[in-house]
Amino acid sequence: MLEVREVTKSYDGRAVVNRASFTVEPGEVFALLGPNGAGKTTLIRMITDILRPDSGTITLEGRDIQGGGGARIAYLPEERGLYRRSRVVDVLRYFGELKGLGPARALAASNELLRRVELAEWADKQVQTLSKGMQQKVQLCTALIGDPRLLILDEPFSGLDPLNVQLFEDIIHERRSAGTTVLLSTHQMNKVEQVCDRALMINRGQTVLYGRVAEIRRQYSDHAVLVRADGSLDGVPGVRSVEAFNGERKLTLTADTSPESVMRALLDRGLRIESFALATLPLEDIFVKVVREGLGLDRGQSGPPTVDAMPSNGGSR
Amino acid sequence: MSLDLQRVLTVARREFITTIRRKAFLLTLVGTPLYFVLVTMLSSGTAIKEGRNALKDFTALGVVDSTGLFKDADPVIVSELKASDNPFAKRSPVAAVVPVQTFRTQVRWYVDQPAAERALRSEQISQVLIIPQDYLSTGHVRRYARSGNLFSSADGRSVGRWLAAGLMRGRVDPLVADRVARPSEHEQYFTLDKQGRFVVQDDSREMANVFFPMFFALLLGLCLTIGGQYLLQGVSEEKESRILESLLCTVSPEELMGGKLLGLGSVGLLVVAVWLGLGLMVTAPALAMMQITVPPLLLVAAVAYFILGYLFYGSLMIGIGGVTNNMREAQQFSVWFTFANFAPMVALWAILSRPSGPVAVGMSLFPPTAATAMLLRLAVPNSNVPPWQVGLSMTLLAATSWFALQSAARVFRIGMLMYGKTPNLPEILRWMRQR
Repeated sequence: MLEVREVTKSYDGRAVVNRASFTVEPGEVFALLGPNGAGKTTLIRMITDILRPDSGTITLEGRDIQGGGGARIAYLPEERGLYRRSRVVDVLRYFGELKGLGPARALAASNELLRRVELAEWADKQVQTLSKGMQQKVQLCTALIGDPRLLILDEPFSGLDPLNVQLFEDIIHERRSAGTTVLLSTHQMNKVEQVCDRALMINRGQTVLYGRVAEIRRQYSDHAVLVRADGSLDGVPGVRSVEAFNGERKLTLTADTSPESVMRALLDRGLRIESFALATLPLEDIFVKVVREGLGLDRGQSGPPTVDAMPSNGGSR
Repeated sequence: MSLDLQRVLTVARREFITTIRRKAFLLTLVGTPLYFVLVTMLSSGTAIKEGRNALKDFTALGVVDSTGLFKDADPVIVSELKASDNPFAKRSPVAAVVPVQTFRTQVRWYVDQPAAERALRSEQISQVLIIPQDYLSTGHVRRYARSGNLFSSADGRSVGRWLAAGLMRGRVDPLVADRVARPSEHEQYFTLDKQGRFVVQDDSREMANVFFPMFFALLLGLCLTIGGQYLLQGVSEEKESRILESLLCTVSPEELMGGKLLGLGSVGLLVVAVWLGLGLMVTAPALAMMQITVPPLLLVAAVAYFILGYLFYGSLMIGIGGVTNNMREAQQFSVWFTFANFAPMVALWAILSRPSGPVAVGMSLFPPTAATAMLLRLAVPNSNVPPWQVGLSMTLLAATSWFALQSAARVFRIGMLMYGKTPNLPEILRWMRQR
């Protein structure tokens, strides 16, 4: 679907994006992560053909992006902005027509989208009369109109109330079901865990993480399980240490012990087990860890396990 | 630069419709000509009124004659204000029936200047005229008044005629004396027209020779400025509202720029058409009386220069809008180009008096001033601008416009997503070189 290969962009001799390579499969929700200033926006601007890479190629459905992205790609940028003095429906119709819809189809699609985001009664109002959250929904509609093949959302949830966050999530799922590929850039890691299949993390223009979200979490976690059970957990074979952890007990396993064998051992002891789960790190903790390592703050500590899916810089999958 | 025409037209349509729906546009369209008419009427009305007042208030002249030449001069100065002295009223059909206004000024002789000055200070007389002993050989006279009148020299002319008549009095026939005072009052001046015929150059025609080219060039200059300002405003607003990034995912910077140029250029042309239409409607009777016709070729040249000039100034405005952060900042830069556009109006007299002189030719070939200056030259009724100069001027302007368009596209592409620091000149020049 989307293939970014060996893409580099430099400003004043400094590589903002350095030989980035990744693919986004059709119909998946893909997270683009990274700290502020990592190069995410530059990368997105190259995917949307707003900026041209110094080297490397970007293709969408096999075709070079340059000059041909047009209606196939839609972008909700982090910087929100609309024509404030225009009517809501006129703004949407304008975007629809720019994406190749005829006037009648653009109007119909605008009204349909406004109904979907619960703003139908605001269609004839000036944009500046809408609240910030409403304007954000209108801007999402400008991206959705014309049914793009690739939908790029940069911090779509910021500033929204929980109801509208849910609405945005629902829309992302609907679009994904309809075959739209979604590229999501956000700092809300819980949302990445909830809605994304795979993720790419860049830091200082370099790729530092790349793979399935669940796999990244698993590989970055300690080899441990969280158990809620009555009775003593000491002396379980293959368990290196036991410590209390948020009302549960965290059992750190030796390298050659599998979680399944520990569970079997606990059951064999006749313990009543209320819960048993892999002790995976939240994505947010992984993010902080990787960024700190990138800054050299954690040097000397044991390094993170290598994520198998992470390509070497310049490599592609 | 590959452009999707459909997208260019969509952008152009939006820009056109959004602009003409604005209240500010209607205000410009209707308000600007009304403003000019009002200012012209007020200023001309004031000038005429001041001329009349100058004569009305000139009731008594104190004379200190050290030569003795004027002891038998007429003790009354009679001044006339004819309807024809009002350059605007005389085109009116009622001008013929407006009576000549006559004003009388008493002349009183004083023995010395202090006595005359005392009379002036106590408002017994309106002015004092000192005629020194060496007047005949030097022509030196001094006139004193309580306050000056910036707008009229009618009283000065009356005194001049009284002096001339006084010098002649008793020496020559009164008719000769009167003619000496007004030696060429009813002169008819003939010059060759473009068809090689001698035609009379009366006051009204002379005025038309000035106002007609000025009107045309001013109209062009205003339309270039207004079109440019709309472009500047459009780009600045989009940059300020941060909508550009959403737009640029769908439409290329070149398409966006092309659409804006087309849409807002059409707004400029609409303004020209309306103003020209209104202007011709209002001035048609006067133009017909003065036997002035607007040559079709002049209109063609006006449209061509508008398109070329608009491309040049429009590109500059887009580039400025792209590199600046808001409208206020953008206007600080654009004002210099507006000055360049109106520079030929500063050199108006040099161009009108010598349409083929070095100032006129230089300005009409120099691209930033070419459109307005060449139109001034072409509109001067009896001027003969060589066709090669028109061709060269258009070619130079077209080439410069193309270069400006290309450079603006590059600057716009890079600058439109940059916020915060305004780039300096070396940075802008570097952007212009980037491909």
